[in-house]
Amino acid sequence: MQRFLDPHVLSSISGLELIAKTVVQGFVSGLHRSPDFGFSQEFAEYRAYAEGDDLRHVDWNVFARSERMYLKRYRGETNTQLTILLDASASMAYGSHKVNKLDYARYLTASITYLSGQQRDGAGIVIFDDEIRDYVQPSGRAGQFARILHAIEKAAPGTRTDFAKPFFHCQNFLHRKGIIVVVSDFYEDPEIVVKTMEPMRFHGNEIVLFHVLDPQEIRPLIKDPALVLDMETGETMEVTPDYVRTEYTAKIDAHIAALRERAQRSGIDCVLIDTSKPLDDALRSYLLLRQGRV
Amino acid sequence: MGFLSPWFLGGLLAVGLPIYVHLLRQHKSNPLPFSSLMFFERRTQSSVKHRRLKYLALLLMRCALLILLALLFAKPYISRAVTGDAQGRKMLLVAVDNSFSMRAGTRMADAKAKALEALGSFRPGDRGQVIAFASGAQLLTEPVTDLNELRAAINGIQVGDGRSAYGEIARVIRTLVPPDGMPVEAHVITDGQKTSMPVPFSELAVSPGTKLTVHSVVNREEPNWYVEAVHAPRSVFQPKKVRVQAVVAGAGVETPTETNVTLLLNGKTLESKKVTVPPFGRATLDFYLPDAAYGMNKGEVRIDSRDKLAADDVFPFSIERKEAQRVLVVHEPGRTRAADYYKAALESTPDTGFAVDTATSDQAANLDVKKYPFVVLADTVVNLNDYMKAGGSVLVAAGSNLAARGNVLGMKVDAARYAARNAERFYAAGDVDEAHPSVAKAGKFENVKFYQVVQLDPSNGRVVAKLTDGSPLLVERTVGTGRLLVFASTFDNIANDLPLHAAFVPFVEQSALYLSGSDAASAQYMVDSFVDLKGGGEIMGPDGQRALSLAEAAKSPAFRLTKEGYWEVRRPNGNHELIAVHSDRRESDLTPVAADTLALWQSTGKANPAAGGAAGEPGEKPYSIWWYVLVALLAAAVIESIFAGKYLNQEQAQPLTRKQAA
Repeated sequence: MQRFLDPHVLSSISGLELIAKTVVQGFVSGLHRSPDFGFSQEFAEYRAYAEGDDLRHVDWNVFARSERMYLKRYRGETNTQLTILLDASASMAYGSHKVNKLDYARYLTASITYLSGQQRDGAGIVIFDDEIRDYVQPSGRAGQFARILHAIEKAAPGTRTDFAKPFFHCQNFLHRKGIIVVVSDFYEDPEIVVKTMEPMRFHGNEIVLFHVLDPQEIRPLIKDPALVLDMETGETMEVTPDYVRTEYTAKIDAHIAALRERAQRSGIDCVLIDTSKPLDDALRSYLLLRQGRV
Repeated sequence: MGFLSPWFLGGLLAVGLPIYVHLLRQHKSNPLPFSSLMFFERRTQSSVKHRRLKYLALLLMRCALLILLALLFAKPYISRAVTGDAQGRKMLLVAVDNSFSMRAGTRMADAKAKALEALGSFRPGDRGQVIAFASGAQLLTEPVTDLNELRAAINGIQVGDGRSAYGEIARVIRTLVPPDGMPVEAHVITDGQKTSMPVPFSELAVSPGTKLTVHSVVNREEPNWYVEAVHAPRSVFQPKKVRVQAVVAGAGVETPTETNVTLLLNGKTLESKKVTVPPFGRATLDFYLPDAAYGMNKGEVRIDSRDKLAADDVFPFSIERKEAQRVLVVHEPGRTRAADYYKAALESTPDTGFAVDTATSDQAANLDVKKYPFVVLADTVVNLNDYMKAGGSVLVAAGSNLAARGNVLGMKVDAARYAARNAERFYAAGDVDEAHPSVAKAGKFENVKFYQVVQLDPSNGRVVAKLTDGSPLLVERTVGTGRLLVFASTFDNIANDLPLHAAFVPFVEQSALYLSGSDAASAQYMVDSFVDLKGGGEIMGPDGQRALSLAEAAKSPAFRLTKEGYWEVRRPNGNHELIAVHSDRRESDLTPVAADTLALWQSTGKANPAAGGAAGEPGEKPYSIWWYVLVALLAAAVIESIFAGKYLNQEQAQPLTRKQAA
């Protein structure tokens, strides 16, 4: 089952729903061998009844057997709300192999949405570039998964990335606290990225940043001097292999580290996703973060 | 270094093309899409400049390719000291003209004296070769070192009857491969006739490095009178006077000259006439042969001239007196119209020598048809298959009778067609193959109306004439060694009105000559022409000796007539022909070539002055280096391919471009 999590294999499957199910079921079947993992609606412990406790939480089956009153406690007794912000800017269309960043982000988004649906969590999605391109309000109703998948399916590479404007609008949409997952390549100053998200974080939302990058973006392979075209701005620049090997690599590494560090400082989780790696790595990172929060 | 074809160096201009493509044209580089330039910085080393520098190697290779190609076509050579003549040896070639014109005066003796004089430069170690030439070259010796052998060869040269051709001797000198790469010294001894020059002067060129000397034994123009042509019939059939026309001409004659012209037959003088030949012109006069004897007659026209070339004062010809040939016309009993018309037409041309016998089809069955050269079937059938296989020929005029029978002598004949009164009313002749001897003089059967024609099957045959609707009118087919000629209508002036038209008599006459085989080649031949010997035969020379052995005669398809005089050809079928052979009368024009033209010919052996070389100088020989240029060209092509492939692959295989926008 694990081999179906390879992005190259997934790209040959048509239909995001099938991809999401394949990913999540494959991932969950892998989890059975790891009992340490769990999430919010799982049973947590029994506690002796004390005065003032709500009688609704008493485990009457136990009382019938033992005539003692125990309260059954769960982790995360309440449903949470998941909002995914998917960057569909032009730069997300870049890919050095069969699956580009936007495709990978689609699979990831669909998989997380399916996962939350399994937990009865409400989910919604915002697709943005420098504007909000599509918005599906978070909800736990039946058919919500299909609506989200439709929005993801429609997402096409747009123009430039601008975090400020879409996130400002998101603050208006999101009245209820929940989890906000941002999937983007974050070609922006980490300070600006985090600053645009801090208000939502301070509002009580949990924010997870999926920093999606192609392996060529992390370690570009250019053998000869070349003219490079910015896919968002159309600007061209002549670059040399020597520069790419040394300075560019240092800069991108610093950028990744700065984003993570700056996000952590604001209580935001940041996960680097390599589009050449299987999807379960991304899901595992997400769930580890979630577990840590609970 | 020089070039044999320097005008091809103009191809060097093509070098501008790659320069334009590589340097002058705006260099375009395909940009590589990338997510963001956020972490890139512009650097001083320009990728475009860098790439241009890389492409310079490719440019150089391409320029080299074009330059080498132009050099290859220009045929470069270098002048090098000849390796074979380190001791000063050379190849001495002496070519002596022995054409017909060398019979004039003491030209041949003078030529031999000059040739022996040319041998004066022969040194021990040299190689020498003697050639006699007229229209062809005859190698009298191999390249030898023995001076006496060369002298003997020169002394043994006999004057011939051929026509000299300087283009031929130049070709021989050009293609000569000297032993040990010795330099060639060629001496051409000739009377320098203007008529011997080839039309394109380039045919006279000899190989660069050949030292050519042309010795002319004549230094001034000499007048010459000669019999240019004699027109006489090949055969005569009737005891009447035969006209013989003679043309007398003068070359280099500036004043009108009166000369005596004599006609001789079998050595007997028949008649003499005086004629005045105008300056640089010719005069024509007629003789009438009183009554030639039966059989072959040797005739000649002779003039009394006082010029140095006496051999062209006589012109031989031959006349054969024989009985008229009998032709059989077969018709249906009671239907003699076609036979009458055919007989009248054929016998109206007595010079062709035919007499017509008529017979009905029943009578013809009992006749011995083998004595007839051909048989005419006028809309009737007689079994002539054996006759045709033995070489006999048949002319068939097909009408309704043959159409009813369905075929004639193996050729299918379909139902007769009538021109309907309400439609075409009559058919007319369409395409006519005028190359066929039987209709060569009949025109296109203009204005002949065909009311009834039969449909012939032209398969395995040749359609000589067609009607306007495309159906065959005259078809020829070969049966055995005989010929079958089928006319799709009759000669009776009923199915058509051909017998009333002017085309009828020439058609009957020419088809009769064709079918009887009497239209063969003329009895007058020129020296160096060929007589057809297909099917075998014997040929006797003017000296009365066999020119070919029996085995040679059986195998040779043709024989070259090399001497003036009377030749006799005996065919396997018993026919004898007397052929009169005369020399090419262009040899009688003794006008010499201008001295500067001969000097120009001599200079063709020197290197091209424009190339700046001195290959014609003694001791140096041009060595072609095109082979090395070709190797360099191939090497440049391979390197260019490698460079181009490498750069092309680099452009296509940039990792960043593997996946572009979705």
